[in-house]
Amino acid sequence: MATVEERVKAVTGRVLGVDPDQIQPQQSFGADLGAESIQSVELVAMFEEEFGIEMDEDEALSVNTVKAAVDYITKVCQEQGVDV
Amino acid sequence: MRLILFDGPPDVRGRFHPLALSRPIWELRCGMTSLAEKLTARIGAADVACWVPDYMAKVYAASTGRKVNDPATLAGDLLAVSATVKAATFNVPAKGPSEVGVNAAGEVVYARIASGDIAKVNSSPAGGDIPCRLGAFLTQAKAVLPNVTCDLPAYNYVWDLVLENPAQITEDFRAAGASGIEGTVEQPNAIRGSKKDVFIGRGAVVHPMVVLDAERGPIYLDEDVGVHPFTRIEGPCYVGRKSILLGAKCREGMSIGPVCRIGGEVEESVIQGYSNKYHEGFLGHAYVGEWVNLGALTTNSDLKNDYSAVSVVMDGRNPISTGSTKVGSIIGDHTKTSIGTLFNTGAYVGAMCLIMATGKPLSKFIPSFAWMLDGVATKGFGKRMLYQTAKVAMSRRKKEWTEADEAMWDAVYELTATVRNEAIRKGRRQMVRSRT
Repeated sequence: MATVEERVKAVTGRVLGVDPDQIQPQQSFGADLGAESIQSVELVAMFEEEFGIEMDEDEALSVNTVKAAVDYITKVCQEQGVDV
Repeated sequence: MRLILFDGPPDVRGRFHPLALSRPIWELRCGMTSLAEKLTARIGAADVACWVPDYMAKVYAASTGRKVNDPATLAGDLLAVSATVKAATFNVPAKGPSEVGVNAAGEVVYARIASGDIAKVNSSPAGGDIPCRLGAFLTQAKAVLPNVTCDLPAYNYVWDLVLENPAQITEDFRAAGASGIEGTVEQPNAIRGSKKDVFIGRGAVVHPMVVLDAERGPIYLDEDVGVHPFTRIEGPCYVGRKSILLGAKCREGMSIGPVCRIGGEVEESVIQGYSNKYHEGFLGHAYVGEWVNLGALTTNSDLKNDYSAVSVVMDGRNPISTGSTKVGSIIGDHTKTSIGTLFNTGAYVGAMCLIMATGKPLSKFIPSFAWMLDGVATKGFGKRMLYQTAKVAMSRRKKEWTEADEAMWDAVYELTATVRNEAIRKGRRQMVRSRT
C-alpha cells in the first residue's frame, strides 16, 4: 500500500499537472508548485476523496507545504478512524 | 385587536427557501410592497406582533418596529394570520367570536381569539408543529376553539410571488393612489401610455433618453430612484427607493426593492433589495434576495426549449413542478456570481454561495454556502470568507454585519448542512472522475 506521502504527491501531481516524482516534501503548493487559489480548493476536495476523510476547510487551506499536508492528513485520518 | 403574523411549520417555510432562510415569509415582496404590508393594510391593524424561528429573531427584531417573539403579545383580542394567505382575499372580520380557520391540510390559516378565551387556550396541553411558543399556542387554540374550514387562496411556493408580481404591481399602484411627477424628468424623454399610470417620487431623477412605457401597466419609481440614459421601463413596474437603473431594459412585471443597481435585461422578476445586477445579462421570472451580486453577463433561463412546465429542486433531490412554463432562478441572500454565470431554468441557488462560471448552465440545485467551482459544489474557502465578503458588501451601503447576523447565518449553515454535504461529496467524486 502506498504511503500517505506517495498518495499526497500523486493527487498533487494530478491536480497541478506536475510529475509526482519531482515533488519534494518541503515544497509549498503555491510558490513552488504553482497552485492557484481555485486549485487549492480542488486539492482539498481531492485529498478528502482519496483518503475518505472530511477536512475542516480553514485548517486544510492553512496548510502550505507537501510535508505539512502529509502530517495534517495523517492526523485527520487518525481522528476519523481511517487506516493509512 | 392585535394582528399576529406567523409563517407556518418548517415544511411551509421550506417552500419559500432560500429567501425564507434569513427572513420570515411575510417580508417577501410581491408587487410594490411586502406580504406583511399588504396583510396589515387589509386587516387595518395598528398593533402588529410577529413570531419567527428563534434563530432569526434577533436579526429580524433589529430590522422591524414590530414586537418579535414576545410572549406578552399573546394576550387581549388576537387575530393570528398565516403570512402565506393572499391579503386581497382575506375576508375574516377582525372582531367576532373565537374561531380557528384550518385548511384542507389541517394547517392553521388564521386564529381569531377573543381575550376571554386566552386562558382556555393556554390551559390546554402544549405541542405544535411550529417550533416556537406561538406554534404551541395555535395548536392549543385549534384543539379547544371552534374550527372552521378555510380555503382562502395562499402562496404555496416562492415562485408564486414571481408569477403574481405583474398583476400585484398594478393592484398596489391603484391602492397607493399616487400618480404624477414629484421628482425630476430631464428631457428629451418619452412617456408612453397615460401619464396617470406613472409616478415618480421625490428626489428621483430620470435622465435624458429614457422611455417609460406605461401603455400596458403602471410604473412607480420610489423616492431617490435614479434612471440613467437608455433605460427602457415597461409597466407594470416598481422600483424601490435609492435604486439605480443603468441603461437597463426593464421588461414588464419587475419589482426592485431599495438600494439596488440594475443593468442588462430584467423581466417579471423580484429583487428583494440591496442587490446588484450592474451589467448586461438576462434575469427573467426570478426572485433574488438581498446583498446578491450578479457578475457581468450572468444570465438565467426561464423557459425550456420544449415549452414544458418548469420544475424546481428545493431539497436537492425531488423536482417540484411549478405548473408554469416560465420560472427563472430563485437566488438566496449574499450569493455572488462570477462573470458569465449561466443558470438553468428554475434553478435553486442557495444563500451565501460563491459561484464561478463554467460556460455551461450550472446544476439546478446549488446548496447554501456552496462554492461552485468547475460546475461542482465544494467547501471552497469556507463560511468565514463568505462572512468577510458579506461584511464588506454591507459596509459599502452603510450597513453593519453584526454578531447577530453571524449567529443567524451560523444557524442557517447548520440547517442546510445535510444537503450541502451531500452535494459536496457528489462534487468530489465528479472532480476525481474528471481528473482520471
